Amino acid sequence: MMRVLLAMIFSAFVWGAAEARAELVVVVNPQSGIERLGEDDVINIFLGRYRRLPSGLAAEPVDIADGSSLRARFYRSLVNKSLPEINAYWARLVFSGKTRPPHTVGSVEEALRFVASQPGGLAYLERAQVDRRVKIVFELAE
Amino acid sequence: MAASLLVCAFIGHVHAQSDAPAFSLRGFGTLGLARSSSDQAEFVRDLSQPVGIKNGQWSGRIDSIFGLQASWRVTTELELVGQAVSRLHYDRSHNPELMWAFAKWEPDPRLALRLGRIGADFMMLADSRLVGYSYLTVRPPADFFGPLFFSHFDGADAAVTLPAAGGLAHLKAFAGRTHEKAAGGLGVWDTSGSPVAGLVFDYTRGPWQLRAQAARIRFAADMNTGFLEAPLLASGFPEAAASLQTKDKTTRYLSAGLVYDRGPLLVQGMLNRIRHEAQVFEDSHAGYVLAAYRLGRVTPFVGMSRWKSKSRDDLPAVPVPVLGDYYRLFMAGGAVDRTTYTLGVRWDFQRDMAFKLQWDTVRAGAGASFSFPNANPAWDGKTEVLSVTLDFVF
Repeated sequence: MMRVLLAMIFSAFVWGAAEARAELVVVVNPQSGIERLGEDDVINIFLGRYRRLPSGLAAEPVDIADGSSLRARFYRSLVNKSLPEINAYWARLVFSGKTRPPHTVGSVEEALRFVASQPGGLAYLERAQVDRRVKIVFELAE
Repeated sequence: MAASLLVCAFIGHVHAQSDAPAFSLRGFGTLGLARSSSDQAEFVRDLSQPVGIKNGQWSGRIDSIFGLQASWRVTTELELVGQAVSRLHYDRSHNPELMWAFAKWEPDPRLALRLGRIGADFMMLADSRLVGYSYLTVRPPADFFGPLFFSHFDGADAAVTLPAAGGLAHLKAFAGRTHEKAAGGLGVWDTSGSPVAGLVFDYTRGPWQLRAQAARIRFAADMNTGFLEAPLLASGFPEAAASLQTKDKTTRYLSAGLVYDRGPLLVQGMLNRIRHEAQVFEDSHAGYVLAAYRLGRVTPFVGMSRWKSKSRDDLPAVPVPVLGDYYRLFMAGGAVDRTTYTLGVRWDFQRDMAFKLQWDTVRAGAGASFSFPNANPAWDGKTEVLSVTLDFVF
């Protein structure tokens, strides 16, 4: 009996956690000329290694400020890194004058507006936040 | 105080409208204290430092650094970057030094051209060895980076990045002239105007990064060796006198490195080989490995590094008493043989700030104390270095 109860509590916990974690996706401007992106493409673009879309456009990624949990979740599931690691990574490149981090915006709505206004724009957000201004090209497994 | 408040207000202003700021002002710094146990030799971060730490006394001189960087994106393709850094200099001052001052032109995501004062690219993960916040250890391994006292040059570089075989290939060529002075037992050595050139190849795929690099420098000036050159010439040993010269002599640098960075695990290692035409320097090999595992905000790391030179067998003979002995002793003074074991921890206690605590056990071979200023010839080569730093960026 006790074991069944524990199993129920445990599965409720897991279920609840899964529900709270809506799926993260990467979106682009519908005019970007691309349908899908590979994981390596997304890593290269957001980490500033190679910012060129397969269609030839210059990629313009956008980061959502630390205050939302989106940024932490995105980098955790993409490269398994915490935000301090990502910040140290950017300090390394910025102060070497090598490349620049993604533009930072304060909210999902601003990110959507950015992507909708830039043919090479990319952003990450929850699937439920996607609207017709943008197109999903990559899904993250959390 | 008022000035720093003003700077803070200004930075706050720039950040407030950071949607896509055309102008940004950022900075970095390290407040570092370190102590080296031996009273027989001084420990330095690299050969640009005229004085080090010793005698178990805590000092902030070798690791404390402060830098400011301004960048201005003139257009999407053109960016101007300037960086000034205050740190311990060859002349013992901390006067700000213009580190970067370049224009970067990126006509395409595959191509980047920079012109002006730019970084000499020796680290695998960055051009700058001064931004403590950006790397794990308190300082880049002194056994590997110690002899590479050049941090910038005036010239140009061109980098091409292309997808290749499931990864990214990155090739950079650079050329220019140095603008730096080094400190040493012979006083200041001004290397300004020495031509440098090199190639850097990086290949990144998944968690792996492979690097190969070749660089050369042709020294534009001699060191202050006249006090020995003159008596050697006067005594009829022109070859021995010439062996002290560095002007118009080339030094070649080759290195290879590998990084594995996946999730919480980071492992990296590099090897280098330095060959000198100038006989007054000994050719050397160096290498390091560093491994770290992140546990939340705390990252423990271990490392080992080694730097060893080879004594020359091509030195001209000076078969006279006193002068000959002194010449051989002087030439042997460039010998290096040192190994360091490192244990440390980094704690990212809040955004853009990290504490580090590091313990280094340094073992230098007897009589091979070239890279330690003011070493007593009788030093047993052992010292323990304990360092604690607060690194930040803003």
